[in-house]
Amino acid sequence: MSLLAFFQWCEQSGIGDAIRRSSWLFPFIEAIHLLGLGVIGGAVLVVDLRLLGLGLSRQSAAQLTRDAQPWLLGSLLLMIVTGGLLFLSEAIKCYYHEAFWFKMSSLLLAILFTFTIQRKVTMADESRIRPLWYKVVAVVSVLLWSGVGIGGRWIGFS
Amino acid sequence: MQARSHRLSALPWIVLLGFVLCCLVVTATPQTPPPPGNHRALILPNPALEKWARLADMGAPPLPAAALQDDNPIVAPPGSLLAFFQRWGESSWSTGLHESRYAYDLIESVHVWALCLFFGLAVMFDFRLLGWSMRGVPVSEVGRRLLPWTVVGFVLMVISGALLFSAIPLRSYMNIFFRTKMIMLLLAGMNVWIFHSGVYRRVSSWDLAPKPPRPARVAGALSLVLWVCVVLSGRMIAYNWFDCDRQPQPAIVNFLTSCIPPQPGR
Repeated sequence: MSLLAFFQWCEQSGIGDAIRRSSWLFPFIEAIHLLGLGVIGGAVLVVDLRLLGLGLSRQSAAQLTRDAQPWLLGSLLLMIVTGGLLFLSEAIKCYYHEAFWFKMSSLLLAILFTFTIQRKVTMADESRIRPLWYKVVAVVSVLLWSGVGIGGRWIGFS
Repeated sequence: MQARSHRLSALPWIVLLGFVLCCLVVTATPQTPPPPGNHRALILPNPALEKWARLADMGAPPLPAAALQDDNPIVAPPGSLLAFFQRWGESSWSTGLHESRYAYDLIESVHVWALCLFFGLAVMFDFRLLGWSMRGVPVSEVGRRLLPWTVVGFVLMVISGALLFSAIPLRSYMNIFFRTKMIMLLLAGMNVWIFHSGVYRRVSSWDLAPKPPRPARVAGALSLVLWVCVVLSGRMIAYNWFDCDRQPQPAIVNFLTSCIPPQPGR
């Protein structure tokens, strides 16, 4: 099955059809998606601001990462579920929309980066990491997650 | 010191009461009838409805739905808020924002990005107040290091939001979700004020508590609910379900949007 065929199959699914036919279901799911975005933003920024030395600098990055973890994972799960539902209702539009592919690439990179490289750096012994690395990691993380959020917003613009 | 702190925590309530009183005075004041040339705007199906619509518009005479269409220019009485937003919408500044290929989309992106900064960090602070996150971090530390960033985010939100409003002022002003959002914003602001002039002034006595005292938790929960309402109603402004040019609507909707629907058969 080609990618386009898969997207067509998504578009024709019963769930996608139900969301398309309802006038309030899409806005409702979208609103929850937006709330999830805000919580992810908070969970990511708490850690990234710490790495930049601009946030809670008296706490260890490792501890803040652990504190933010449940909220990051929980809102990420919420985003993927609601985002998946939104996608089902307009899969073909997404297939032809550059912003969708930009967002998905950013999302993949952001998740990989956050749970591998960033995790390693924040969990490592602070004396063994050069401060510059903290800053680089934070900037990359903010850029990748911003790409996800702004790319997502642009899917809505034609 | 104790007395001063008590006086301060009462201040928000006095201001809120004052605001409600001002609203009552403004809406109860008899309206000056519009000049004769504007009677077309005030042909109403039912005089009682006119009164309610005027109340909802904080004293400004109502706008007929027919006037919202392009071939039927708005006859908003001079000096009313409707006339003000109508003029605003006709300015080259507003038209430019509205018709530009990318300006609106870019501003909207800034608005969403700043939402993560403002809402995200405000929510993290609320989670700390509720004892749901960062339980080992002193509350005052979270407030001192994160709340300045929420201020930055809020300023960005207000600037980008004001620009978005400028692009479509009249429609936004009459939009039921925009009005809801403004009320929620006001309430959320009151909550911030009450929290900071009340229980947060005594934060040193509960700074290290993993689960802060009840008043702090109530403030955190209220803040969470109110900011969620602001975000939800903000998102819904984009939808035109209750717009004045979509009739028939329930009377309560037209009341809440200061909309006077055209009479049937006219």
